[in-house]
Amino acid sequence: MAKKLMKGCEAIGEAAVQAGCRLFFGYPITPQNEIPEYLSARLPQVGGTFVQAESEVAASNMLYGASGAGCRCLTSSSSPGISLMMEGVSYIAASELPVVIVNIMRGGPGLGGILPSQSDYLQATKGGGHGDYRCLVLAPSTVQEAADLVMDAFDLADKYRNPVLVLGDGLIGQMMEPVEFKRSTRLEDLPAKSWATTGCKGRERNIINSLYLDPEVLEAHNWKLVRKYEEMARTECRHEFWSPHGDADVLFVAYGSVARIAKTAIDALAEKGVKAALFRPITLFPFPGDALEKAAARVKHVLVSELSTGQMLEDVRFHLGKHRPVSFYGRVGGVIMTPDELVAEALKLAGKAG
Amino acid sequence: MPTVLVEKDRCKGCGLCVSACPSHVLAMSSEINARGYFFPLVEHPDDCTGCRYCVLVCPDLAIQVENKGKTTAPPEALTEKPMHYCPGCTHGVIHRLVAEAIDGLGVRERTVGIAPVGCSVLAYEYFNVDMHEASHGRAAAVATGIKRARPDLIVFAYQGDGDLASIGMAETIHAANRGEKITVIFVNNAIYGMTGGQMAPTTMPGQVASTCPLGRDVTLAGYPIRMVELLKELKTPAYLTRVSVHDPKAIMQARAAIKKAFQHQVNGTCYSFVEVLSTCPTGWGLQPHEACDWLRDNMMPYYPLGEFKTPEKGVVKETER
Repeated sequence: MAKKLMKGCEAIGEAAVQAGCRLFFGYPITPQNEIPEYLSARLPQVGGTFVQAESEVAASNMLYGASGAGCRCLTSSSSPGISLMMEGVSYIAASELPVVIVNIMRGGPGLGGILPSQSDYLQATKGGGHGDYRCLVLAPSTVQEAADLVMDAFDLADKYRNPVLVLGDGLIGQMMEPVEFKRSTRLEDLPAKSWATTGCKGRERNIINSLYLDPEVLEAHNWKLVRKYEEMARTECRHEFWSPHGDADVLFVAYGSVARIAKTAIDALAEKGVKAALFRPITLFPFPGDALEKAAARVKHVLVSELSTGQMLEDVRFHLGKHRPVSFYGRVGGVIMTPDELVAEALKLAGKAG
Repeated sequence: MPTVLVEKDRCKGCGLCVSACPSHVLAMSSEINARGYFFPLVEHPDDCTGCRYCVLVCPDLAIQVENKGKTTAPPEALTEKPMHYCPGCTHGVIHRLVAEAIDGLGVRERTVGIAPVGCSVLAYEYFNVDMHEASHGRAAAVATGIKRARPDLIVFAYQGDGDLASIGMAETIHAANRGEKITVIFVNNAIYGMTGGQMAPTTMPGQVASTCPLGRDVTLAGYPIRMVELLKELKTPAYLTRVSVHDPKAIMQARAAIKKAFQHQVNGTCYSFVEVLSTCPTGWGLQPHEACDWLRDNMMPYYPLGEFKTPEKGVVKETER
């Protein structure tokens, strides 16, 4: 398929269609409205269904039903809406159902603002709703990658029978870039789902459920989920290591939009005689901690930068250990750091500031 | 000659069969069964007319009647598992009516039921169809997801009053307004049963509950919500009806209404909603037969029975109900 210039949100919508998703349930919220708008027109063209739910709570529960019935389905929202969806997501994770959720993050807490942010990292990677569970979290840095990861998200959701969260920010959602849809899934090629509620003809009845009144059975279920997350950690960690100027003194750790800003800063730093590199987690859960450890072992300084007050920072510090100094530079509330700000931070660390 | 067959170890001793029998065939035992309950004895078998009222009112499917070579049988759409409901609770009767409708329409193998949170949270253990356990109040949203994913399936939500009319009000109204082709069975027993008898959105004025110990004060808690009346104001076509299960005649009417509701879904006609007035002897602090009388005397005047809206007639006038 030829490259097309598309807005991130629209590319996400089209990628879902190409991945065989025929159902979308969602509720309008800025800055991701182009996803439901796009799909409200696109899904009927392919025999799919778009439902504008009465709330994000309802949308997440519609997703719970549709995925239980064995169909690929999507919802998207932005931070406050994602909070409302957490009820459904907890049930979906507990019932081991495959769904894809897109969060185009905006500034919080509370109503916050409508500009880009990365302040839902902890909610996304540590569960988010009640109970012991995790979503697999993918963080795109370009529109192309957003499209690729949405397609992968559906496969991963089916593979693990687990919710997969695509965590973007307002920049990824709103900017236009060339994008190519590299594959197109035919519905008949999708894996069969023997556990789905499709009517019990010719088999024992299926039950989608997350209620375990026997504490020992519930405990066993929790550990079963943990084993699944451990398998994800062994198999699914993804990252990008970008070091175009040779052995670096400063390692930026950033994901999503901030990673792009860091790349610009890294080139600018090279001109000032400071070699820097970027470690960009693509999976935020599972976090590519081993790869980070290796990348960090070769540098003098580690600088985490996020559009938050320091959320991924906790994971970086956890993986690098308390004896390894890790610096942080964050902007929040919808304010985005410039490459110059990151250059200045790196120069301070390298002892070459002003 | 008709024969009443009592499966005594399924019985929870509610005595509803004894009260319902017009010929006084049954009487309670003085011994207890394996579960610790008194159970009905067939004291005057010769007086049995084969009316099957005892079968109809038994919430535990513990009675069958054999007549002219035919025996009543539990519906295939129910599992054999004994239900956990309190003695005399009419959930079991409503379960059976829903299962009979599913069997009667021949759709068991393409039906998906949604269990709620509340007393009937374990409904997935009793309905012998594919089941999906919803979170509290969201059954209509889950049903929407399933039905939109697979329009060929028959999807029903089984919900209580706290689930549907309180925490799930938004999901209920919007599913009805979208005209989702689902069937909602709304069990209204005017109280939160599972959590221990708290005030429900449908608790009667003055009715005592554990969170309104002096009785529901309508100046503070408002009036009980009449769901069918609320839903009938939506312009979207629907089948909306209210029935009761407090006596054999009402149960027979409820059976017909529930079947009709499912028929509308099978035909793809419209959203269908059956409010079933039900008893909660434990929560109300009454004997099972007293609870049936209380429902008739207190709930029915406030929650009138009948079809409120049909796809053919639209809103049904009060005089025509």
